[in-house]
Amino acid sequence: MSKERSPFRKVLVANRGEIAVRVMRTCREMGLPTVAVYSDADRGSLHVRFADEAVRIGPPPSRESYLGIDRIVAACQATGADAVHPGYGFLSEKAEFARALQAAGITFIGPPASSMDAMGVKTTARKNMQAAGVPTVPGSASPIASESEARAFADGIGYPVMIKAAAGGGGKGMKKCERGEDFQSLWQSARREAVSAFGDDRLYIEKFLDKPRHVEIQVFADDHGHCIYLGERECSVQRRQQKVIEESPSCILDEGLRSAMGQVAVKAAEAVHYRGAGTVEFLVDARRNFYFLEMNTRLQVEHPVTEMCTGLDLVRMQIQVAQGEPLPLRQEEVVRRGHAIEARVYAEDPSRKFMPCPGRISYLRVPNGPGIRDDSGVYTGWVVPQFYDPMISKLLAWAPTREQAIERLKRALAEYTVHGITVNLTYLKEILDHPAFRSGEYDTGFCSRFEKELLSRPDPRYEQVALIAAAVVAFKRDHDEAEAFAARADGQPGWSQWQRIGRSRTLRGSMR
Amino acid sequence: MSTYVALLDGGRREEAIQIRLKGPGLYEVEVGGKVHEVDAFRHDYGTISLIVDHDSYSVQIDQGGTEAKVHIRGSTYPLEILDERRLRMRRAAGKFTVEGKQTLAAPMPGKVVKILAKLGEDLKEGQGVVVIEAMKMENEMKSPKDGKLVELHVVEGQAVEGGTKLAAVE
Repeated sequence: MSKERSPFRKVLVANRGEIAVRVMRTCREMGLPTVAVYSDADRGSLHVRFADEAVRIGPPPSRESYLGIDRIVAACQATGADAVHPGYGFLSEKAEFARALQAAGITFIGPPASSMDAMGVKTTARKNMQAAGVPTVPGSASPIASESEARAFADGIGYPVMIKAAAGGGGKGMKKCERGEDFQSLWQSARREAVSAFGDDRLYIEKFLDKPRHVEIQVFADDHGHCIYLGERECSVQRRQQKVIEESPSCILDEGLRSAMGQVAVKAAEAVHYRGAGTVEFLVDARRNFYFLEMNTRLQVEHPVTEMCTGLDLVRMQIQVAQGEPLPLRQEEVVRRGHAIEARVYAEDPSRKFMPCPGRISYLRVPNGPGIRDDSGVYTGWVVPQFYDPMISKLLAWAPTREQAIERLKRALAEYTVHGITVNLTYLKEILDHPAFRSGEYDTGFCSRFEKELLSRPDPRYEQVALIAAAVVAFKRDHDEAEAFAARADGQPGWSQWQRIGRSRTLRGSMR
Repeated sequence: MSTYVALLDGGRREEAIQIRLKGPGLYEVEVGGKVHEVDAFRHDYGTISLIVDHDSYSVQIDQGGTEAKVHIRGSTYPLEILDERRLRMRRAAGKFTVEGKQTLAAPMPGKVVKILAKLGEDLKEGQGVVVIEAMKMENEMKSPKDGKLVELHVVEGQAVEGGTKLAAVE
């Protein structure tokens, strides 16, 4: 990699939804023209509007659009983009994508392909980390091909075990197996999810630790031999291995443990000659031992948590580093202030077993006010497609203390209005209100352990108000219909239908 | 005066509401044995400012047909609101039951990735029948009752719309 690269002319964002919008926002601030890519399902997507140029890359299924390396390279060539930001998911952790871009003379805004190889396949990553002296969780040394072999291995290390996609990330293709009897169906389901999400069906097995917390360290490296850590994110509130709430600082880290984990994370990144933004994920057990879980060689969904605590723009730093510039700050210059929490807003219905709820958003109003950030990829009228991840937005709150940040996020969740589809807003609020979350004494088992308590019951105090509201609206509608009917029956001469429609449109703003 | 009936808890509970127009935007509403003075003002889409006696509420109503989700102060109340005529029609149509043939329908658009039961197979309540993938997550559609799989309308790999009939158990 040459160190005297020149600034980019144009950046293509090889992603969709909120993260594509997020990346383009920084590009705009930097004066960099942007190119969006979109599938047929995303023609109306917000990121297409945000970009200066947009290229159609195929039909809705990701395999035929966002996962098509050739299609993205062709889109770069058609628009003259000389850099690609991959976002997260899709091709962001595919080394062959970085290589294809390099071969075409396009810069990949991310780590070198060799670092991705070293970390991309989880089993290889574990071996590399063990060699570098980083502690890891017990598990299979390489992907296991046959189901029977896998079952035997799981029986050997004892249940519960985690079945994981070797190419995985983001909770897709990952299953927790409690008992041998469930192994077969979970294994097959994980395999199907892995193929559809990553185009790679290799699975491996890891021992499931008791009451572990998921704490990850944000690292950043440049081409000039610098590598720093920007503190941790606590991501233990997970449902089916999918993060729901993330916060920083973590309640279990003190300065000593923070810098110990930070230094190990930097060591992990340096061991694979990393460049750019990366996240080293750890499991921390009840005795505060930490184990390397995996390294995500990309920008994380929850990166704004770190941005709010440090005041940095990680996407800007990614672009600067990819242009060959040195990191804008040294380790001792990293300042962390206050507390930030992120809640992921998913189009899913918690009362129906978190069934995904794609569909048309008939009305959307996002929260605002002090210390609030909403990274969203949707708008009123947008139809959330069934083909992609159900996350529609990330809502964040920053405040000087954890308690204030929780209250602020709760306040913002109550302001959030999404009509037409079901979203998990009340579920998020229940998590923030739960005593275990409040106390900070929670682990990755939080969502399943308190599953029932987290299903919100509406406050009985306002039920009668709800009934009044519904009845008034129904009454108003029926009343207006009856009047309109009567008016038609009268056939009032001198009043045309146009006048009547015009009058009713004018009056529609009020219930009066 | 008009009477409405709200169905709560998925139809297991009923509340009657009587409503009388007193003036523009002003109503007298009787619910749960109490009479309230209500002033209603509609803001933008789905948002209503309600002053009930003296309490002020910003209410969001997400309505689809007779079904509505009413959001007030951080709580959501899913309900169905019917006038007397619609309620009579509903009662005539019979009550919700798992007696007889039960149809499994796709709850959302997606793709059938696996069929777990064979036509004619005896199923237990809660046993998986069809796996549907939407938004990259798999959802197992389970049998609503003990019975025999008497209909199967889909094949693996098929794309389905929300509401598509998948199978029936009797």
